[in-house]
Amino acid sequence: MTANFLIGLREGLEAVLVVVLLLAYLKKSGRTHLYPRIFAGVGVAVAISLAFGAILTFGPRGLTFEAQEAIGGGLSILAVGFVTWMVFWMATASRTMASDLRGKVDTAADGSSWALVLVAALAVGREGLETALFLWAATRATGETWEPLLGAGLGILVAVGLGVLLHRGAVRINLSKFFTWTGAALIVVAGGVLAYGVHDLQEAGMVPGLHNLAFDVSHIISPSGFLGTLLKGVFNFSPATTWLEAIVWVLYVVPVMFIYLRRVNAVKPPQAAVQPAEATA
Amino acid sequence: MKITAPLCATAAVALVALTLTGCTENTPESSGDGSVQITSTADACDVSTATAPGGTVKFQIKNAGTQVTEFYLLAEDGLRIVGEVENIGPGLSRDLIVIAPEGKYITACKPGMIGEGIRADFALTAAPAGQAVSADRAKLGETAVTLYTAYVKDQIEQLVTGTGDFADAFAAGDTAKAKELYAAVRMHWERIEPVAESFGDLDPILDAREADLEPGQKWTGWHRAEKDLWPPATGYTAMTKAERGKLAEKMVADTNELAKRVQDLEYNPATLANGAKELLDEVATGKVTGEEEIWSHTDLWDFQANVDGARIAYEDLKPLLAGSAAALDEQLQNRFTDLQKLLDQHKRGAGFIYYDELTEAQKTELSSAVDALAEPLSKLTAAVAK
Repeated sequence: MTANFLIGLREGLEAVLVVVLLLAYLKKSGRTHLYPRIFAGVGVAVAISLAFGAILTFGPRGLTFEAQEAIGGGLSILAVGFVTWMVFWMATASRTMASDLRGKVDTAADGSSWALVLVAALAVGREGLETALFLWAATRATGETWEPLLGAGLGILVAVGLGVLLHRGAVRINLSKFFTWTGAALIVVAGGVLAYGVHDLQEAGMVPGLHNLAFDVSHIISPSGFLGTLLKGVFNFSPATTWLEAIVWVLYVVPVMFIYLRRVNAVKPPQAAVQPAEATA
Repeated sequence: MKITAPLCATAAVALVALTLTGCTENTPESSGDGSVQITSTADACDVSTATAPGGTVKFQIKNAGTQVTEFYLLAEDGLRIVGEVENIGPGLSRDLIVIAPEGKYITACKPGMIGEGIRADFALTAAPAGQAVSADRAKLGETAVTLYTAYVKDQIEQLVTGTGDFADAFAAGDTAKAKELYAAVRMHWERIEPVAESFGDLDPILDAREADLEPGQKWTGWHRAEKDLWPPATGYTAMTKAERGKLAEKMVADTNELAKRVQDLEYNPATLANGAKELLDEVATGKVTGEEEIWSHTDLWDFQANVDGARIAYEDLKPLLAGSAAALDEQLQNRFTDLQKLLDQHKRGAGFIYYDELTEAQKTELSSAVDALAEPLSKLTAAVAK
């Protein structure tokens, strides 16, 4: 029960985190009317994942191991690309917002936010197939109890609950800090997703170095324990990390964070001046 | 924004392509369900069978423990992952479908997702007829072995025929004809020397040199005939007709025995690569020094034949190098060409000049070309065994 709950929690957190930050951003920039687009992206990803999972579990054809890893790893790396683009788009858009009056957000920005649908879909979809396969396997477990399904379901619910709390918290932070922190958080999350994607490709044998570990702390942080679950769910932290994963993480997070912070600092002063109280609603 | 449209398209195409190529039969075509049952608990990893047919293999892993578990199918080295399922919650069953060729594997359950896992040996037999195995390298390796096997059989047949002709001429006292046949027929032997040498009893009675004889060993075979055909000026008693006849008869009988045994030999890509290396070592230790044919001085024929044998093995293995070891491939190709160019310079008619006609400088030149080829050739085994 606990074990299945933790799996649900972890997979849930991985998906929820990016979505929460997206929603909080829209709320902050006064574009709550775009919420449906995010939910549409999430809905599409969930539906596709469940359908795929059902077909692969009950249908006449399954997916080979290589294909599963390639899809998981490929989607993760793709998701990183989109999240990175989004972080910088937010930074730029927040500058426009600072100079314009609220409500006069340019339509071009709204148009491009269709891409947010895709970002949301990718954030959920990259873990979706794996989770769906898990859930369908749980429903199929013949002669067994429904406990695995309940455990995983509760885990996902708790993850969503945590997401809601996080959303509320994020919305309360003041505007300039909010943009800085969400962006920075997303970059760290994306770095984890990238490393995880690389690990998937290593397991599929497409990229070498699976057995060259940079560090292995799995005896301290059990991957099946609560802390391991949380770290994995939030940062995609793996207690046994390969050199390639570690290098990729550093090569991504350090330069992207540097460029991002420089850009954010450049727009900070005007933002602080215009910071409207009503934006927090 | 502008970049999103192409990105979306790429993502969609990639996903569709992956899905299409990655799709496989959910139920293997073999009888009944045919899947391998794995039961993972906290301290055991029970596998329903230790062998299964290769091709599309389905594992059904049941987690009967209380921790989350993982199941791996590993290659024989215990490192390369052939397939895995992660996140199997307690009470759940998950399937793993792999496409894998015949061979040795290792199964492993990892309760708690930590450590080496609980491992066991596992074997896949040949895939049922009609089932494609996607392991292209395995197929390329098989093709190489098939081609090389055919080559060896062809050479041994020509050796048997050639030895017969040579033995007839030698026994009949037709020294001129025997001399003419000697070097040419021996080439069939030299091309497949590592194969012949794998039979420790036949090699010395067919190919021993006088200098290498063990005390008490009776000298027979090619080099015994050589000395009689190209006798030293002094201190040598020519063989009688009866002695010649006996030697010729034995050479034919031993060669036939060799041909018979070769039919049952089995190779793999690594033995081909090692064989190629051995052939070149033969050149370096015997031919380049002029020791092999001390009476006839026809060392360059043997030299050429050894290089031929090595080159054929390499060329058969070539498809295995494409992509994975392209640089090595190119290097080998160039070095073989260089060495052949040098050898061609010493051609005379259908054969070669005698080894004692070469200058020291020419010998050194040949020797360094051999060394230059031997160096990359020693890496061939590792490259094809990847």
